[in-house]
Amino acid sequence: MSASTTTTPLLEVRDLTLRHNGRGGQTTIVQNVSFTLGRGEVLGIIGESGAGKSTIGNAVIGLVGKSFEQSFGTIRLDGVALETLSDRERRKLRGKTIASIFQDHTSSLDPLMTVGNQLGETISAIHPGLPRSEIRRRTIELLGWVGIADPAGRHDSYPHQLSGGQRQRVVIAIALAGSPSIIVADEPTSALDATVQKQILDILRNLVDTIGLSLILITHDMGVVAAIADKVVVMKDGEIVEQDATSTVLENPKELYTQQLLSAVPRLHLSPSAAHSQPEEPAPILVVENLSRSFGGGNIRGLLGKPSAKFALKNVSLRVPRGSVLGIVGESGSGKTTIGRILAGLEKGDSGKVTLDGRARDISRSGDEGLLGHVQMIFQDPALSLNPRMTVAETLRECLRFTARKEGPRNPDEITRMTDRMGLARTLLSRYPHQLSGGQKQRVCIARALLARPALIVADEPTSALDVSVQAEIVSLLKQTVTESGLSMVFISHDLAIVQGICDAVGIMKDGRMEDFGPSDFIFGRSENAYTRRLIDARPKIFTH
Amino acid sequence: MKISTFKPTGFKMPDRASYRQFLTMPNIVLACYVAVALAAPLIAHQNPYDPLQVYGWEASLPPGTEGSGGFNYLLGTDGLGRDIASSIMYGLRISLLVSIVSALAAAVIGLTAGVSAAYFGRWVDALIMRVVDLQLSLPTMLVALIAIVTLGPGIDRIILALIIVQWATYARVARSVALSEAGKSYIDAVRTMPLPRIRIIFRHLLPNSIAPAMTLLPIEIGHAVALEATLSFLGLGVPLDQPSLGSTVANGFQYLMTGQYWISLFPGFALFGLIATINFVGEDMRRIWDPRSRSI
Amino acid sequence: MALLSVITGRLSQAFLLIFVMSLVGFIGIHSVGNPVYNVVNIETATPEEIRRATILLGLDQPVWRQYLVFVQNVATGTFGTSYIYHQPAFGLVLDKLSATFELALFAMLVATVLGLGLGVLAGTRPGSPLDRVIVTSSVYALSVPSFWLSMMLILVGAVMTGWFPPGGRGLTANLLGFDWSFLTSDGLRHLVLPVLALAIPNIALIARLARAGTVEVERMEFTRFCVAKGLSRRRILFHHTLPNISLPIVTIVGLQFGGMLAFAVVVESIFAWPGVGKLLIDSIQLLDRPVVMATLTFTAIAFVALNTLVDLVYVVLDPRVRIST
Repeated sequence: MSASTTTTPLLEVRDLTLRHNGRGGQTTIVQNVSFTLGRGEVLGIIGESGAGKSTIGNAVIGLVGKSFEQSFGTIRLDGVALETLSDRERRKLRGKTIASIFQDHTSSLDPLMTVGNQLGETISAIHPGLPRSEIRRRTIELLGWVGIADPAGRHDSYPHQLSGGQRQRVVIAIALAGSPSIIVADEPTSALDATVQKQILDILRNLVDTIGLSLILITHDMGVVAAIADKVVVMKDGEIVEQDATSTVLENPKELYTQQLLSAVPRLHLSPSAAHSQPEEPAPILVVENLSRSFGGGNIRGLLGKPSAKFALKNVSLRVPRGSVLGIVGESGSGKTTIGRILAGLEKGDSGKVTLDGRARDISRSGDEGLLGHVQMIFQDPALSLNPRMTVAETLRECLRFTARKEGPRNPDEITRMTDRMGLARTLLSRYPHQLSGGQKQRVCIARALLARPALIVADEPTSALDVSVQAEIVSLLKQTVTESGLSMVFISHDLAIVQGICDAVGIMKDGRMEDFGPSDFIFGRSENAYTRRLIDARPKIFTH
Repeated sequence: MKISTFKPTGFKMPDRASYRQFLTMPNIVLACYVAVALAAPLIAHQNPYDPLQVYGWEASLPPGTEGSGGFNYLLGTDGLGRDIASSIMYGLRISLLVSIVSALAAAVIGLTAGVSAAYFGRWVDALIMRVVDLQLSLPTMLVALIAIVTLGPGIDRIILALIIVQWATYARVARSVALSEAGKSYIDAVRTMPLPRIRIIFRHLLPNSIAPAMTLLPIEIGHAVALEATLSFLGLGVPLDQPSLGSTVANGFQYLMTGQYWISLFPGFALFGLIATINFVGEDMRRIWDPRSRSI
Repeated sequence: MALLSVITGRLSQAFLLIFVMSLVGFIGIHSVGNPVYNVVNIETATPEEIRRATILLGLDQPVWRQYLVFVQNVATGTFGTSYIYHQPAFGLVLDKLSATFELALFAMLVATVLGLGLGVLAGTRPGSPLDRVIVTSSVYALSVPSFWLSMMLILVGAVMTGWFPPGGRGLTANLLGFDWSFLTSDGLRHLVLPVLALAIPNIALIARLARAGTVEVERMEFTRFCVAKGLSRRRILFHHTLPNISLPIVTIVGLQFGGMLAFAVVVESIFAWPGVGKLLIDSIQLLDRPVVMATLTFTAIAFVALNTLVDLVYVVLDPRVRIST
């Protein structure tokens, strides 16, 4: 892919080994890592958490802490070994030659300074003595360049007044301020919604193509790599597993680990398939008609006072046939979580009708006691979903004991039968939540939900807090459970591909409205709704079939 | 970044295996203080508040003087002939009793009030938190003064006054911890089950809310010791026949100018050492139990 | 919008506070004892004299009527006449105000400068020997009871060395109608020890806050991003770290200043500093109700005023409060 095969590469990392001196002695974070980056090239470094990919990025910028030790190897920039430079000389490189983009747009900007000034101080650090008016002019120019509308007006805005996407654009503008030759971007888009993610990646790719920038892109997301990287380095446990041109790695991965990573990525199928089509619809278990909730209106304190998120709903209607799975997809702020919480009785609705299992639910107050236990929820973060002071057995026993009242005493063996079914070893029953892995915790949560024998399960982003490989396991477990026991489920997610893999019908939400609703194959194959198409288009093409 | 907000993040139980971490210097010193206070009647040379044991003519003797009671006044005697070393031991009893009882009682009342405010919400919450806010907006010294002036002198009164001063801190912390716990999805999960409310509170909410709030305890005991000593120093605290360390120091104030420094110097050091020890214990406790909490 | 809501919120709090304080203080003083015995000579007074004095002080009236009279006095701004000094109570408080004000101001100045310096010094090198020394000393400094600290300062600074006078205000000079000690060299020498006594615990408090804030801010992503931008350490410290740690510091400085203004009780009585705090303690002991009430009310007002000021500074410093999205 790279054109600069004859000249020296812009950046050359050879045999880089980094050790960390911690309390428990020395640990090797990065071992024998070598790669090169040419001018105008995009290099993706991909790996799961703990692979050491961020440490490499920090080493290139010169931001590794004092507790790190570069015990071996070299990083050469334009032929100059960086480790031989003094702190002062390295600081001069930062911003001017090597710039960086951080992951978290909510915290990479100083909340007390206007974005214009944060950009301006970078410019004046690189060009000392530049007059104020000139700094302002350049600042506005840069803001415009990264696609911020009304850059002059936005100059004096504070970070909290901007949206996530705008903030990340400002971060990119700051990185560009010193016209660097290399930008190290550490997870630049993972905190953003899919459509915004695509815009930001487009900007980055465009910059690389137009001004000959080189980019190191550190990510856990195959989709991001597929979208813009020329070359990929796959990392695991501090070592390089495989590196090659992006297309080669994606289409012909040589190493087993790379193959596993790739197969764990959920794929979207756009051609209609017959698998999900149901000729006749059975009676619905859940009907929601014109459900509305105003923004923070009314008393939504519920039992203990804290509503999780306040998003409005506007006339949302949906139906879930018995034994089927409905997926609700939307970006952050679309109100998808609010629907789930109202269905579970954790929050109130203002108006509308919810009929569950033929009975009308009282949505005007949370905690409708007559229906407790009929809807069970599986939450996003398994670490917060279990009482930290109760063992797994205690949690499950409590559920069994208190849901038993509606149908008489239940056999305590059900607990072990359920954990077996969830693939949980029986020895785990006596453990506390903090002694379990994320995936195990989520399995316990699913077991708890099923033990209550609910009419409906609401799963709210049940996999987004988990590693990619664990995600796939949990999704297939949920899918299997639902099919086996004929349960009905509402599955809330931001990820189209996961939803397609598990759901019979899909609702697309935007700004509290149901934008699009229909059977899964219709939504993904034939829907002409503009927003649905946009969501689908925002996904990397390579994982869409 | 507001200091008034308590962030109950990252709470973890101390590891059972590492009980050795409790063998720290501050803990050992504190244990010694408590032991001396408990054993005061056994190890002190005299009960300084029993007129029969005090030789009035041996007043203001410098440290190290041999007394007629057959023992050495290691730290000297005060203006009434009382052995300073014995006064410190007896004063320690009152200081510790007052501060520990008041801090514990304030913790119980404050936690109940705070969790109730979080649980019941609405007007209960508004009422409790209004009082708490009002009280915490005033300096503790003022609240203590108003309380003690209203209640009058006496050990029971000063304990009551210290409870009044301290409960609000616990209430605010307990409420914020309870609210943050209530926002976690394990509470949501049990709320979707037909569990009695009382069980949700006592089995789920309270156990997870108490522990972070209890890291306040040592610090508040330290405050109580200092506050009681100050009130006693001002003549508003414990009665004269049951002096605490604070009133023992106050006794020596008038002798300071004439060079009889030991009358207030040694009790003062004992008091300062006690408060510092308690604060170091509290510091360690917070570091172990709540590693990410901001230390103020 | 933000300004308006801050002010109305604080005003309603002020009225509530003053109301509660007046009620509690009134009932409290009432329950303690009969002030008449401090006015007449107990040994020689006849029942007739005591009765006359009671009527003179208005203590023969039912409690609720006495409270109404008190409220009336507050509304007219006099707070009644002192039982002991036979002067308008509020005038007495005003006379003592300058003494307390200069004491508190200097103490807070010293505490803020030293505390901020030490805190940032420690916070930028967490874990270093210097950091450990500062943190440990701060625990000791916060553990010293202020009365004992004052006594030790007198012992060392006055009795043993004779460098500074042990108490009193020394010579004062008049400025803007008030007497100030800091305008004369003798007065300045008198200020040193009480200012130190008030400042030392506050140095520790501010240093700990500043340290914790610095550590937290330095750990935040934007500080790392500033380093990656190529800014100098100095620029990051002064333009990013300091503004971000200033919010809690402003709060504590405001609160502590308010506390000192009204209740440097202990330090004022030990150093015989004729300020508001000493007046309050003396008046409580003499059951001089009008003066106690005047002092408490003044305190409440000063406190709410300072809290409001702190809120306003917040509005100025923090754009997230100033401009809500």
